Amino acid sequence: MSSDKKDEEMICGLTADEHDLLQQELRALPDVMPPRAVWQRIREQGEAEGLISQRPMRRPMTWHGGIGLAAAVALAALLVPVMTNTPEPGSITEPPITNPSNSVQVNALQALMVESRQLESDLRSLPDEPRVRQAGTVATISDIEDRITSIDYQLNDPAIQMTAEEKEIFWRERVRLMKLLVGLRYAQVQRTAF
Amino acid sequence: MSKFADIQIDPAIVKRAARGDVRAHEIIYRAFAAPVYSLSLRFTRVPAQAEDLVQETFIEIMRSIAKFRGEAALGSWIRRIAVSKALMYLRSAWTARGQSLADDWHEVTPGDAASHGVSSHPDMALDLDAALANLPSVSRTVVWLHDVEGFTHKEIAAFMGRTESFSKSQLSRAYQRLRPMLAVPGEDVRGEGAALRGC
Repeated sequence: MSSDKKDEEMICGLTADEHDLLQQELRALPDVMPPRAVWQRIREQGEAEGLISQRPMRRPMTWHGGIGLAAAVALAALLVPVMTNTPEPGSITEPPITNPSNSVQVNALQALMVESRQLESDLRSLPDEPRVRQAGTVATISDIEDRITSIDYQLNDPAIQMTAEEKEIFWRERVRLMKLLVGLRYAQVQRTAF
Repeated sequence: MSKFADIQIDPAIVKRAARGDVRAHEIIYRAFAAPVYSLSLRFTRVPAQAEDLVQETFIEIMRSIAKFRGEAALGSWIRRIAVSKALMYLRSAWTARGQSLADDWHEVTPGDAASHGVSSHPDMALDLDAALANLPSVSRTVVWLHDVEGFTHKEIAAFMGRTESFSKSQLSRAYQRLRPMLAVPGEDVRGEGAALRGC
C-alpha cells in the first residue's frame, strides 16, 4: 500500500459502503421550517432598511382556502369571456382583449389557470394522505403547500395591482409547485398501495 | 446532492426580487427557509440562534440579490450565504468562549456520540441525528458541509480559515464517533478487500 493510500485510510477510516450509507442517511434527515414569525421579522427589517418595497400584507389563510380563491379567480377568468362573447358551441373562447400583445399574454395566463385548476382536480382525486407517512415527504409537502399559499395571498390580495406579465409569473410558479405537489402525493399513494 | 440544489425558482421571480419586490422575496423565502433553517440548526443546535441566522441570511439575500448574475444556481448562491453566516456565528461563539476551532473536541466525552451508535436501521435517522448533535460543533459542521452540502476540504478550509488537513482531521474524528452506527447487518465492514475511500 502506498503511503498516500495509508494516509487516506488513517484520515477517513470508513469503507466505501459505510461512507455511502452515512451520506445517504445524513441527506435523508428531514428539513424543518422556521417558525412563521421569522418571515415577518425579516420583512420588517427589509422594509426598515429600504431593501424591499412596502406593500400591504393580508392575514394568513389556510392553503386550501387560498386554492379555493385561486380556483375561483381562474374560473371567473374563464367564464367571463364565455358569458360576454357567447361563442358557438365547440368554438375556442377568446378573452375580450383588443390589444394583440396583451391577448397573447392573457391566453398564456388562462392556459396556466386551466392547468392549475386541472392539477387541483387531480390532487383532490387522490386518496387521503396515509396515516403512516415518511417524515421527509410530509415536510416537503407542507413546504410546498406553504409556498402555494404564499402565492395565493398575493394573487388574491385586492390591494395588489399586478400587470398581466406579473400575474403570469406567479401563476407559472403556482403550476410548477402544484405539479410537484401532485407528484409527491401520487408517490405517497403508490408507496401505500404496495 | 444538497437540498439547496434541488430547489428551482423562476428567473422572472429572481429578477423581481432584485428590484426589491417583497412578494418575490417571500416566494424565495418560502422555497429556501427550510434548508437554511435546518443547516443553521445543525450547526448551532439552538433554535433561537438558528432563527437569527435565517434572518441574517435572507436580509443578506435582499441586499445582494441584485448582484446575483445567475452564473451559479440560486440555491448554491443562497447556500453559500447561509454557510458563511452560520460559520461567522460559530466563530464568534468560539471566540467568545476563548477557544480555538480545534479545541471543542475536549467538550465531548468519548461515550457521548458512540452511545447512540447501537441502533438498527429503522431508528437510524433519529440516532444519527442525536449522534450528530453530540459531536463537537466544528466536527459536526465539517461533516455536514462535506457529506451533505458537498463542499471539498479546500472549500471548507477556506470557510473556516484553516488548512485542508484540519478539515480532514475533524472529519476523520467525527467518522470514528459515527462509525458504530454504520454497521450493515450481515456485512463485515472491515472485511478484507473493503474499499477505503479518502476524505
